[in-house]
Amino acid sequence: MRWEGEAELSLRRRPRRREALIQGFLFLCGALSILTTVGIVYELGKESLSFFTRQLWENSNKPLAADLAPDDPVMLVGTAGAALRRGDLIRVHDEIMQVTAIQGLRLTVERGLRGTAAAAHAAGIQIFRGNRVTLLEFFTQTQWNPQIGKFGILPLVNATLMTSIVAMLVALPLGLGGAIYLSEYASARARAMLKPILEMLAGVPTVVYGYFALTFMTPMLRSIFGRDLVEIYNTGSAGIAIGILILPLVTSMSEDALNAVPRALREGAYALGGTRLETAVKVVVPAAFSGIAAALLVAVSRAIGETMVVAIAAGAGPALTLNPFRGAETMTGHIVRISGGDLSYDSIDYNSIFAIGLLLFLITLGLNLISQRVVRRFREVYE
Amino acid sequence: MSSTGRVVLGWLLATAALAACGGVTTTEPASLQPTSAPAQPTQAAVQPTEAAQPMPEGLMLPPVNPLELSGTVVTAGSSTVFPLAERMAARFEDEGFAGTITIDSIGSGAGLERFCVTGETDVANSSRAIREGEVESCRAIGREPVEFRVGTDALAIVVSRENDFIQNATLQELALIFSTASTWSEINPAWPSEPILRFIPGTDSGTFDYFVEEVFDQDEGPILVAANTQLSEDDNVLVRGVLGSPYAVGFFGFAYYAENADVLRVLDVEGVPPTAEAVDDGSYPLARPLFLYSDAAIMQAKPQVAAYINFFLTYVNEEIVDVGYFPASVDALDQSKKAWLGAMGRGG
Repeated sequence: MRWEGEAELSLRRRPRRREALIQGFLFLCGALSILTTVGIVYELGKESLSFFTRQLWENSNKPLAADLAPDDPVMLVGTAGAALRRGDLIRVHDEIMQVTAIQGLRLTVERGLRGTAAAAHAAGIQIFRGNRVTLLEFFTQTQWNPQIGKFGILPLVNATLMTSIVAMLVALPLGLGGAIYLSEYASARARAMLKPILEMLAGVPTVVYGYFALTFMTPMLRSIFGRDLVEIYNTGSAGIAIGILILPLVTSMSEDALNAVPRALREGAYALGGTRLETAVKVVVPAAFSGIAAALLVAVSRAIGETMVVAIAAGAGPALTLNPFRGAETMTGHIVRISGGDLSYDSIDYNSIFAIGLLLFLITLGLNLISQRVVRRFREVYE
Repeated sequence: MSSTGRVVLGWLLATAALAACGGVTTTEPASLQPTSAPAQPTQAAVQPTEAAQPMPEGLMLPPVNPLELSGTVVTAGSSTVFPLAERMAARFEDEGFAGTITIDSIGSGAGLERFCVTGETDVANSSRAIREGEVESCRAIGREPVEFRVGTDALAIVVSRENDFIQNATLQELALIFSTASTWSEINPAWPSEPILRFIPGTDSGTFDYFVEEVFDQDEGPILVAANTQLSEDDNVLVRGVLGSPYAVGFFGFAYYAENADVLRVLDVEGVPPTAEAVDDGSYPLARPLFLYSDAAIMQAKPQVAAYINFFLTYVNEEIVDVGYFPASVDALDQSKKAWLGAMGRGG
């Protein structure tokens, strides 16, 4: 029934423009971080790919034995130098050729490949052999020096692990102890004082930690262990500084996890006659294990990615050593040093830092995935 | 995927550029290296000089009045030339230059690359002569490098003052010290059997190139694979490293030694100490020229760049000894001044 003049009552949802706008903006905020990650991965992947596909030329030290005419498909080579194989791409002066057959010192070659022109070459000229960085070489060689064709990432990874392990040795006991104290023992007043101080540590620029490592930790280590044993740049002092740097992170996240354990559990432990320490160590910490483990894994990621401290204090030359008192360059430290001078774009050095970056990214990603699994696996759900 | 990537990258770049510029309208790229802010009125030892003060010897360039000039002078390059360039820039600004001079200390190779490949700079500082390939790159972007010799550096081989066993090294010994020898006693049985700790300039630096050229006959392999080697484009990192142990050794431009002469000790090379006389008469084997490079078109289009180089050439000899290097010969400096006149179209 409708009366004259009555407006139609609509039950349909009215479009709320402002609401949609706000919602869209918030979505964009969330999407931005994902898009950024996608962009970074794309760029890392692209440059790393050109690192692994780049054509390198390695001097085989094998000389051309007789003059070679521009149209001659057979070349004679000397006995010296590295052996060439069938299918090898070789370069003589500016011309690129491919070896199609070998009989002793007679090579049958396809001339003038890859846009180069076949030309005459004089006897005695060195033959360069085409090469690529293989994944096997990347992960198993023990020297890193892209400029002279050494592409073993191990020394850099090893140094990164050294600083990170030292950092965790510092941050794990101190951070966990601090968290237990703050959550289980500290009075409200002590807590109100300590927490902001701890969080202040997190606000110190990392460059300050770098010089703290170099000008305080290193001299201290040297006075304890002796000057001859401890080098001026070393992974140990850098690791300790990183440990202090990530301490607030470990403490704060662990404390949150401990705090989230229901009061009833503690009261139960006290009722059974547990002391404060027993309650904290045997009941509360195990109950909060997933949170603590997640905190530690996030801290490890942070330690691995830390750059400024290691660039200043850990050393500036790749070295494969397990001695924390020796200098060794980490992955991030190497990226900083190499990009500190200007790099030729599209040089092997330039591509190599992206390959290192990609590996770092994968390590951190892996740790984060593990941390998610750990959280799910060990999560204690109450109520 | 790829288009998304490009969009995101564009956004990233835009953000980075905004962050880097911080609202200031400048086209200079952000740089990892601390850019010198030479506007320090506290520069001691700099006396106000009348612009037209005559030089005691050699050719004279037209007088410069820094007060009338402004704008930017963008320079980058050798960390060896850096202290000298910094001093000259400070003096230029002290005398009234109102613009900004940036000096990035990134190594000769990198500096020439910025000048010749990306074309971002007005002047390249270099501790070695420009290479054929670099000249070609310059021409490819329409620049014709003009060379200005400004002084001479003696590359200093340094050890800590605590080191009491080595006074002199031959070039052959240097090659061993900086490559295959793992302990000092391997080179000379009289030296201790302690590992050699090496601190050398990074591969972008002209100092590295020069050392490899003189000592290793241009083969950079041995020096790069040597154990216990730390490389840095920042010479202060090297100074600190050499200070750290009596068994450490390093090399860099003489000025960094001069600055730290109280704690470092410089070695004789082939029995010749790096002194002004030895550098002058060429008997010190590791002496090398220092250069500025610019381009005639830039100098004509940006009068402040021409004036800066003019000023540099006119007064460099009043500052260079103080900075820790050795003056170029009158002839070499006159050559540079002629090059300046030539570039400005005023004939030689």
